[in-house]
Amino acid sequence: MTTPSSRGGPGLLHGRSELGVAALLGALAVIVAVDTANIRQTAVNSGVMGPQVVPAIIATGLALCAIALAISVLRGGHADPEEGEDIDLSIPAHWPTVFGLAGLILGYALVLDPLGYVVASSILFYGSALLLGSRRFVWALLIGVALSVATFYGFVLGLGIPLPAGLLTGIL
Amino acid sequence: MDNLALLMEGFTNALTLQNLLFALIGVLLGTAVGVLPGIGPAMTVALLLPLTYALDVTGSLIMFAGIYYGGMYGGSTTSILLNTPGESSSVVTALEGNKMAKAGRGAQALATAAIGSFVAGTIATGALVFVAPFIVSIAISLGAPSYFAMMVFAFIAVSTVLGSSRIRGLAALFIGLTIGLVGMDPTTGQPRLTFGQPLLSGGIDVVVIAVALFAVGEALWIAAHLRQGKQATIPVGVPWMGKDDWKRSWKPWLRGTVIGFPFGAIPAGGAEIPTFLSYVTEKKLSKHPEEFGHGAIEGVAGPEAANNASAAGTLVPLLTLGLPTTATAAVMIAAFNQYGIHPGPLLFKTEPVLVWTLIASLFIGNTLLLALNLPLAPFWAKLLRIPRPYLYAGILFFATLGAYAAGMQSFNIVILLLIGALGYMARRYGFPVLPIIVGAILGPEMERQLRRSLQISSGDPAALVSEPLAIVLYAVIAVFLVVPPLLKAVRRRTRDASRRG
Repeated sequence: MTTPSSRGGPGLLHGRSELGVAALLGALAVIVAVDTANIRQTAVNSGVMGPQVVPAIIATGLALCAIALAISVLRGGHADPEEGEDIDLSIPAHWPTVFGLAGLILGYALVLDPLGYVVASSILFYGSALLLGSRRFVWALLIGVALSVATFYGFVLGLGIPLPAGLLTGIL
Repeated sequence: MDNLALLMEGFTNALTLQNLLFALIGVLLGTAVGVLPGIGPAMTVALLLPLTYALDVTGSLIMFAGIYYGGMYGGSTTSILLNTPGESSSVVTALEGNKMAKAGRGAQALATAAIGSFVAGTIATGALVFVAPFIVSIAISLGAPSYFAMMVFAFIAVSTVLGSSRIRGLAALFIGLTIGLVGMDPTTGQPRLTFGQPLLSGGIDVVVIAVALFAVGEALWIAAHLRQGKQATIPVGVPWMGKDDWKRSWKPWLRGTVIGFPFGAIPAGGAEIPTFLSYVTEKKLSKHPEEFGHGAIEGVAGPEAANNASAAGTLVPLLTLGLPTTATAAVMIAAFNQYGIHPGPLLFKTEPVLVWTLIASLFIGNTLLLALNLPLAPFWAKLLRIPRPYLYAGILFFATLGAYAAGMQSFNIVILLLIGALGYMARRYGFPVLPIIVGAILGPEMERQLRRSLQISSGDPAALVSEPLAIVLYAVIAVFLVVPPLLKAVRRRTRDASRRG
């Protein structure tokens, strides 16, 4: 975790990854503006205030925030990252874990319907636990499966909310 | 007297065997989840939301009341036994509470927190009974311009007053407003920011936004910086207090309640300021100021009471005006919307039974909490030792479940991940999360009020300042925005002057 150095350092961009946030705000402003410009003006929305006004204000606000944030960051401004019980900010961000978890969630969205809730959720739990450092390979799997099966039946029988059975249709 | 009659009716509704069971389950689950490290009250409520889907409105609101208070109590247990709390409102509790626990007085710290929360919660909910109808009677006569001004006021308050950085607060607000924009424009039916995706035309479910920001964002952020090695948790027995502890606690409880409730009730709330104020007050008034910093019981009793009283206070703007001012309140409004209930002054007219049953169940939840948590405290303390990989894998497990169940769409899980990434970014760069969710929830409502104001005046923007309350609110906003930078400039000037001189 680098905090912006006030001396500027070798490059202007060094330690100023927050400029990426400013760029994201700017990109959002453009997306909202383009989308707003494409709203069709029809007889229905020719009332006093059409559906474009508020998005236009928001796009402007986003753009102003992007500029103000960029200026603030370039001047060395920054806010403190969030702390917590299990957070150790002295170690740098461990990207493989973060991207691994993100990948798991994305994969989960794709396989949830075909594989069914129990299989997909077991994989999600097991994969996450291993990525987060669990080395009890059998235990973690058992907990994942038990949790998934219990949740499935809890929702289907207890709450009356149907979750997809997928591969295990007919077995569960 | 009318209020009391309605409240009694609420109690009759809430006190059925089935509803008591819901309250009990809510309190137990709320505390159990709230105790888990890294999980604050907002995440507790968001994660447990799917459980209430299958219940009827009354049952789920009763369960919610239990989860709400349970989650908060759980959080204070964590900060006393583990230190370094994740929830900003428990920071002050940890200050003295953890010192007490380390000195072997954990049982007393937990006891004064639990009993103080009960006392404050009960008094503050009582205050809610009398204040809410009064505010409703005023609010009902307010027009769209006043509502619009109140929402702008809430936006400015949550984004510039509470956080440490105003630019980041405002940026977070605009991101939230953008998220709220997605979907069909309610007035004209025009799609906005849907990118031709039919699944987006209904807008993004607020539950998905809340779970993404509070659960997925937090889990990813913690995963990136997971503390290695075991953290020392302090085992405790059943909480109890000696005669001296009672003597030193009861005044801080009452003072904390008085400080906490009003701060929660104004739509610029949050529990950080009142808990801190209560701490400072107790330190000043204490006969044992030397104990502060080494585990003074007053330093736990006061802030914990203030925290709970302000939580009850936030229900005033939430129920009477539809304005959420804390993360937990924002998630609760999402829960209300699930049932097509829109908090606001009309709610008291259209759904009086529902409102008063909810208020009655707050009293019940609070009492159950005290009765359960004193004997169960040693068990809750054991939950703190849950291995972290399972804990955070479990959070993702339930977060995805909640997002999926919100519409039975796997597409929701993709949205969950995207907004979760946003939550990660917010934590990494110190952006407050509250303005994002408040913007997403109140944005569409603000647009509606703005349009309505201009509709009445057929487009004349002067209509926005046509009501006295609106003018007052804009004046306060101007003060908010102008005074702090001005003070900063003046301070810099005097400092420069003194350096030169």
